Amino acid sequence: MTDTAVQAAHTADAAPVAHRRLRFNILRYNPQDTGSVPRMQTYELEEADGMTLFIALNEIKEKQDPSLQYDFVCRAGICGSCGMLINGRPTLACRTLTKNLDAEITLAPLPFFELIGDLSVDTGKWMRGMSERLEGWLHAKGPEPDLRRLEERMDPAVADQVYELDRCIECGCCVAGCGTARMREDFVGAVGLNRVARFKIDPRDRRSDEDYYEVIGDDDGVFGCMSMLACHDVCPKNLPLATQIAFMRRKMVAIGWKK
Amino acid sequence: MNTSTEVIAGVGLADQARKSLWPARLDWLQSASGLLLALFMWGHMFFVSSILISKDAMWTITKMFEGYFFFGTAHPWIVSVVVACVIVLFVGHAFLALRKFPINYTQYKLFRGHQKLLRHGDTTLWFWQVFTGFALFFLASVHLYLMLTRPHLIGPYESADRVWTENMWPLYILLLLAVEMHGGIGLYRLAVKWGWFAGSDANASRKNLKTLKWAITVFFLVLGFATLAAYIKIGIEHAPNYGQHYVPTWLQNAPGAVK
Amino acid sequence: MRELAAWGVPWSRIQQGDREVIINSQKVTITERAEAQGLVAQRDFGGTKKWRTCYVSDGTGHAMLQTVSDQAIGASIPVHERTEAIALIHDGSRCYGAIVRNLITGELVAYVAKATAIATGGAGRIYRVTTNAVICEGIGTAIALETGVATLGNMEAVQFHPTGIFPAGILVTEGCRGDGGLLRDVDGHRFMPDYEPEKKELASRDVVSRRMEEHIGKGKGVQSRFGEHLWLDITLLGERHIKHNLREVYEICQHFMGVDPVKDWIPVRPAQHYTMGGVRTDHTGESATLKGLFAAGEAACWDMHGFNRLGGNSVAETVVAGMIVGEFIADYCDRPENEVDVPMGLVHGFLRTEQAKIDALINGRGSESGDAIRQRMQEIMTSKVGIFRRGEDLASAVEELQQLLVKSRNIGLRYKVRGANPELVTAYRVQKMLKLALCVAYGAHTRTESRGAHFRQDFPRRNDAEWLKRTLATWKGDDTLPTLAYEPLDIGRMELPPGWRGYGAKDYIDHPDTPKRAAEVEALKQQLAGQSRFAVQEALLPYAAKLPKSLQGRNERIDEMFTNEAAK
Ligand SMILES: Cc1cc2nc3c(=O)[nH]c(=O)nc-3n(C[C@H](O)[C@H](O)[C@H](O)COP(=O)(O)OP(=O)(O)OC[C@H]3O[C@@H](n4cnc5c(N)ncnc54)[C@H](O)[C@@H]3O)c2cc1C
Ligand code: HEM
Ligand code: HEM
Ligand code: SF4
Ligand code: F3S
Ligand code: FES
Repeated sequence: MTDTAVQAAHTADAAPVAHRRLRFNILRYNPQDTGSVPRMQTYELEEADGMTLFIALNEIKEKQDPSLQYDFVCRAGICGSCGMLINGRPTLACRTLTKNLDAEITLAPLPFFELIGDLSVDTGKWMRGMSERLEGWLHAKGPEPDLRRLEERMDPAVADQVYELDRCIECGCCVAGCGTARMREDFVGAVGLNRVARFKIDPRDRRSDEDYYEVIGDDDGVFGCMSMLACHDVCPKNLPLATQIAFMRRKMVAIGWKK
Repeated sequence: MNTSTEVIAGVGLADQARKSLWPARLDWLQSASGLLLALFMWGHMFFVSSILISKDAMWTITKMFEGYFFFGTAHPWIVSVVVACVIVLFVGHAFLALRKFPINYTQYKLFRGHQKLLRHGDTTLWFWQVFTGFALFFLASVHLYLMLTRPHLIGPYESADRVWTENMWPLYILLLLAVEMHGGIGLYRLAVKWGWFAGSDANASRKNLKTLKWAITVFFLVLGFATLAAYIKIGIEHAPNYGQHYVPTWLQNAPGAVK
Repeated sequence: MRELAAWGVPWSRIQQGDREVIINSQKVTITERAEAQGLVAQRDFGGTKKWRTCYVSDGTGHAMLQTVSDQAIGASIPVHERTEAIALIHDGSRCYGAIVRNLITGELVAYVAKATAIATGGAGRIYRVTTNAVICEGIGTAIALETGVATLGNMEAVQFHPTGIFPAGILVTEGCRGDGGLLRDVDGHRFMPDYEPEKKELASRDVVSRRMEEHIGKGKGVQSRFGEHLWLDITLLGERHIKHNLREVYEICQHFMGVDPVKDWIPVRPAQHYTMGGVRTDHTGESATLKGLFAAGEAACWDMHGFNRLGGNSVAETVVAGMIVGEFIADYCDRPENEVDVPMGLVHGFLRTEQAKIDALINGRGSESGDAIRQRMQEIMTSKVGIFRRGEDLASAVEELQQLLVKSRNIGLRYKVRGANPELVTAYRVQKMLKLALCVAYGAHTRTESRGAHFRQDFPRRNDAEWLKRTLATWKGDDTLPTLAYEPLDIGRMELPPGWRGYGAKDYIDHPDTPKRAAEVEALKQQLAGQSRFAVQEALLPYAAKLPKSLQGRNERIDEMFTNEAAK
């Protein structure tokens, strides 16, 4: 294995391997510009070793078309700003390697969210609205604690569980992949249901199931989900969305029959 | 419940009118009705396929449902009552499921576009479930109406005549395909929807559930088509004697047997 | 940390009993006390002596950010997304807010404020190869500089991380080397022992980074389309270890390179990592020269780091500064004398000036390409103002950066749209970034010594006698260079007078005051032997009075529990 690596390096050194020519079909549309109509534009580019869509799109922008709009922030798969449809599938562009794709690549903005231009959509605005609607912040139990005293203890396993759900980067892929959301724009999406599940298992949050019912107990909430599970399958962070939605559904249905 | 609202006062929850509990109940009822229908169909398929064993077996089962072995005489109205119950369940389920249908052409178009672009298994399955559900609406209604109004015309010859001479077989082919797909997908969806059998590795068990789902569908389709073939065969043979009732073998030679 | 815990950060917690950890490639068993069960856990990080880094599994920064953002939403604090401050409104002595551009519509808006805080992060993107996010372009720092009044401190202090994956620059943790990973060159040769026979790969961040660059300089790098790199080899750690203990590294390799680190080597090269310099502030976070302007976090030079930075200190700084500076800003706004009498003419003036600059870019006949200038700047910074700094390289970097700055005043756009327009954004940002790049390059050129992350090959020694001072940069009008000034540090008030820092060669030139202060500190310590650590601290370096009122006082610890009355 050691030898192959050195060898590979040497071959690259001696005679550069012929790289593929990639064809990018990119949906172009600038809603700010009254003259703009949605259209597909094609760019060609020589592939490089380890090329991600981040590298490829930057190269297109720097060398071919300075007007191309897209979003990258961390370019390391942790901020959630680069979600887009890659050959129809919502995922993070920054960690998509071109070598795992065909030479013909189709890029489109995430549907559902407000389009800013080309591949850039405003997920932030929707996420904020969602969070306001679901009250997606910790509702502390008592009055403000005295911060100089020892912190409230927490079971290490529970802390880890909460973190598992807190890993969501709000990229919006789950919502863009959800058929329910496509049909009903008020649906909170898997990201919202996961958020609620996160607070539900957090012992520091004082809300009861009845309180959660108030925010997700309807057809725009957990009962709107029709278990298509695309959310679960496209989530780049592999969050356990299927089990979390099922968990919230069981809890919420229990409220429905309580009286 | 009230105490928790009081604590929440100040963050907004308390001011809202309490949410209706019906969405929770309806969601539960939809699943329950679907589950009952699916389990009923399993039983139904086994009963109907008794023709594969022998005409007598089918006759025995028919008479059993008519209370023959209990009262000593056949009471087809018992079947009518059962059918009426199934109709109630069926209509109830269809009514609940209607909430999930695309409600207008825009929604339908959005969903279909989404489904084709995403090419995601469970999303496509959902479409087929809705499509078959829609078909069942018409197909099953005809069948149920016949069973409700002519419970006395169920039996090895009676059924076979209906299938063949009364030209029901094309409807049954479609009905069989529709109901097996619909029920199979429905049961799988029920399991993931409520998190049943998730176990410690939900992704692995989902895979298994899906395999199981296909296995069940294939099994019932094979069984169903074999059964249908049996009825058709009997129907062709019996066509000249259309309308004649079946008499079990052991009664055929008995003194005073009805011919 | 406790406040964040109360807000919802799921800090990893202590599990009582035994557990195994790896310290310097050795397995060690640690036993946690029963009293500690469920409290916030701390771990080893970045080679600090004391285990003091609180963490949330493998996503500390993300969890903190998420929680703070949640709380902001809970408190109905508006966040204006996709807007960018492009100039500060000021009259030469007081800051009145900022001119902000809406990145979607292109509209300019003046935000008028009693206090303005800059918390815009680092400026890593002035380099080509950096671990920083794409948005770390230092525009907040630059607009402070452009006031001509506010000063930037220690801009030449830039930290590099040895193992950024190549070419993306995404960081892979030091744990790789800590656990036994090796660095190899184009021939597959493990080269670190040649340079550092004793510590080998485990030498400190700056040393390893320097050696790697040195080795590449000798022609031992691996060629690729994007430049040269070296290999990080962790294959010898075995599949189990890589997939469990280094899960994140494993995922990064898979997702970003399609490389399986269990079998393959990882291409790495040192990458810019952290900007120690920033808007110079006093302990309240306020600029000493521009009233009403505050700064916090990586964008600030609040003196938490000096010329280097310890691992884990930055995200801690962001929340601690947020707490302390935030409190000071609130106090500042409450004081009647800080009421603003906004001269509206001034505000409109700034608005007009900024609009004119943008119009000039859109309508002008400039011929330069912003992208090309930006790339060239990044090249220069990475190759000449990187880890190894030499007088002549720095001089040529300063020279060429100045030319670029002049060129950048003549950028023309191919795409002339006012709203969302990435080309326009690059154009005005690169003008600002060049100024920061010049602060770094020129500051590095002028500082003829080596200190912390700043390493001059031609002046390898730390020279406290001449250089124990903070660099302060200001920018005057249309100059092409910053104006540098130096502010000496007062050794007489230090708790730890400058000495050998426990790493690197013990080769430096002392400041004349150092021995005196060292003796003083020693004497004080002896005199107070047996007293509480608080008393010793108070005698050596009193700081409590410099905190906002609400944050003064002691903190309860598991070995220093409050009795109920002592709490007050
Ligand atoms: C890969 C990597 C790993 C790291 N690991 C660690 C670690 O393990 N431990 C540790 O302590 N530190 C670590 N750091 C450093 C630490 O993450 C940063 O120093 C810290 O996040 C800086 O926080 P900040 O709030 O100052 O700035 P940022 O988090 O950079 O936030 C700045 C914000 O300002 C916005 N902004 C910028 N310019 C403008 C403008 N002109 N107008 C309006 N808004 C603007 C940006 O969009 C951004 O939202 C790491 C850094 C990197 C890159
Ligand atoms: C008029 C006839 C029917 C219609 C219109 C219909 C429609 C639907 C629809 C649209 C769904 C999906 C609901 C969702 O995604 O949440 C569904 C679910 C289901 N259906 Fe039917 N259906 C009909 C008859 C039947 C029959 C005869 C069976 C029995 C085999 C059945 C079994 C199920 C099951 C098990 C589910 C899953 C329930 C759930 O998801 O909660 N349905 N039906
Ligand atoms: C209590 C209610 C029901 C009764 C008593 C009943 C009875 C029967 C009988 C006797 C047959 C044999 C053919 C015939 O006689 O026409 C049959 C066939 C069939 N029934 Fe039903 N049925 C009922 C409900 C349903 C429902 C709800 C469905 C589906 C939605 C259904 C689907 C079918 C199909 C597909 C066949 C053909 C099966 C085959 O040939 O393999 N039935 N049913
Ligand atoms: S749940 Fe997954 S897909 Fe959805 S927003 Fe969060 S990280 Fe993205
Ligand atoms: S894709 Fe949509 S329908 Fe439910 S399971 Fe996921 S939210
Ligand atoms: S750019 Fe941050 S996740 Fe892709």
